[in-house]
Amino acid sequence: MLKKVFLLFMVFCCVASTAMAKKRVIVFAVDATWPPMEFVNAKKQIVGFSIDYMTAAGRLAGFIPVFKNVAWDGIFAGLAGGNYDAICSSVSITEERKKTMDFSIPYYKVRQALVVPVNSKAKTLKDLIGKKVGAQIGTTGYFAIQRVKGVIPKSYDEIGLAMQDLINGNLAGVVCDDPVAANYSRQKKGFKEKLKIASIIETGKAEYYGIAVKKGNKAVLDLINKGIRLVKEKGIDKQLIKKWIK
Amino acid sequence: MGEKAPVKIEVTDGAAIPEEKDSGLITAWRISFFGSLALIIGLCVFKPDPYLEILEFVPDGIRVTFEVTIISIVLSFFVGLLTGLGRISKNRVINLIASTYVEIIRGIPLLVQLFYIYYAVGSFTRIPPFFAAILAMTICYGAYMGEVFRAGIESIDYGQTEAALSLGFNKRQTMFYVILPQAMRTILPPVGNEFIALLKDTSLVSIIAVADLLRRGREYATSTFHYFETFTMVALIYLLITLVLSKFVSIMEKKMTPYE
Repeated sequence: MLKKVFLLFMVFCCVASTAMAKKRVIVFAVDATWPPMEFVNAKKQIVGFSIDYMTAAGRLAGFIPVFKNVAWDGIFAGLAGGNYDAICSSVSITEERKKTMDFSIPYYKVRQALVVPVNSKAKTLKDLIGKKVGAQIGTTGYFAIQRVKGVIPKSYDEIGLAMQDLINGNLAGVVCDDPVAANYSRQKKGFKEKLKIASIIETGKAEYYGIAVKKGNKAVLDLINKGIRLVKEKGIDKQLIKKWIK
Repeated sequence: MGEKAPVKIEVTDGAAIPEEKDSGLITAWRISFFGSLALIIGLCVFKPDPYLEILEFVPDGIRVTFEVTIISIVLSFFVGLLTGLGRISKNRVINLIASTYVEIIRGIPLLVQLFYIYYAVGSFTRIPPFFAAILAMTICYGAYMGEVFRAGIESIDYGQTEAALSLGFNKRQTMFYVILPQAMRTILPPVGNEFIALLKDTSLVSIIAVADLLRRGREYATSTFHYFETFTMVALIYLLITLVLSKFVSIMEKKMTPYE
């Protein structure tokens, strides 16, 4: 009897190991408060442009993406600490960040947008000198505000809180990535009637989203790059832009 | 007729108030205080990048933390006094209002209260962040202080009230001229303890974009990625401030209980 069980167990192990050896699991950390790129839907699932992009990349390159909801504030510290393999959270590629982590090839071109109340006359950040402008802590939007001298930057844990403060009247503007700005000012009920995009902030340099991995993690980086390349070849990224970013 | 030993109310959420019996050279307080002071100075001298940078980045945050703490503690002292008096009042309506206030506020976490006042209520009326922070801290700590006041007042022997009434004081005069001054001796040490707890709780106001010490630390860490160094420094600064305050509270306690 025991021999039969043992044999069955060996067969199971062989089958299971060949099945498992096929696809590697890559755990992505996501700060799912950034609609429409990554957010939590009514069914409490993490969805969005980046999620669909990575799922498609995984299907084509041969890895299984698993998405973990992680707060933005500690997301880079967690990567360095090895809590997950990669960050798929609309992370803009910057020289500063390249010093502490490795990036994949870009998967989306992004610009910073200035969102203001619907009846505001401000057009650029320079019009808001002396006033408070909000952004999510540690994002390129926040750094963009800091670059304009005289504007008072306010940092928020989540972009949604900054937007809420904007319509409450405590801020003169919010700077964030343009898909998110468009989502809040054109689609979100309760926000779209009160907000508008004043302008796109031109910094002269193009800004791109990339997947961040721990410095030196070549294996995961190569898989992800392969996936992104294949998605771009097949034109799936254009379909996703049409689906999520109107 | 000996004096009854004054009631001591222990509130257990503050830093360890050094006891009288700690009279040796090496005490926990001294190790913590001089240790953290030496650590801050040492780190800044031997590794100015990034420790000195962090120290130069946060002073306005420290000022905001102090402002929120001091204004909140003063306001919640008065709210606590009113609440405590309300809870022992014979007037049913006042008693119910005070008791319900205490029940509700003690049942909701301070972080939730902060969110609620700033974002939820703030969507109907405009509330500036600094004001919202102070409002939330005052409401929350006023409830706890109310209980401290109530316990302090109730600890005064009823004989005092009887004597005052028989001397011709009315109820209000008894309370303000006889009971409260004596109750203060029991009440002020735990109030000091609450002061320290409030200072640590002000770290929560960083959630409503008030630029306090923790928020400044987080802003620095998320743009330079020096997480370990930043939070080490922030923790040491909070520790230093808390230790200094707990020393003051211990001195005050000594003055309040000369009979022990």
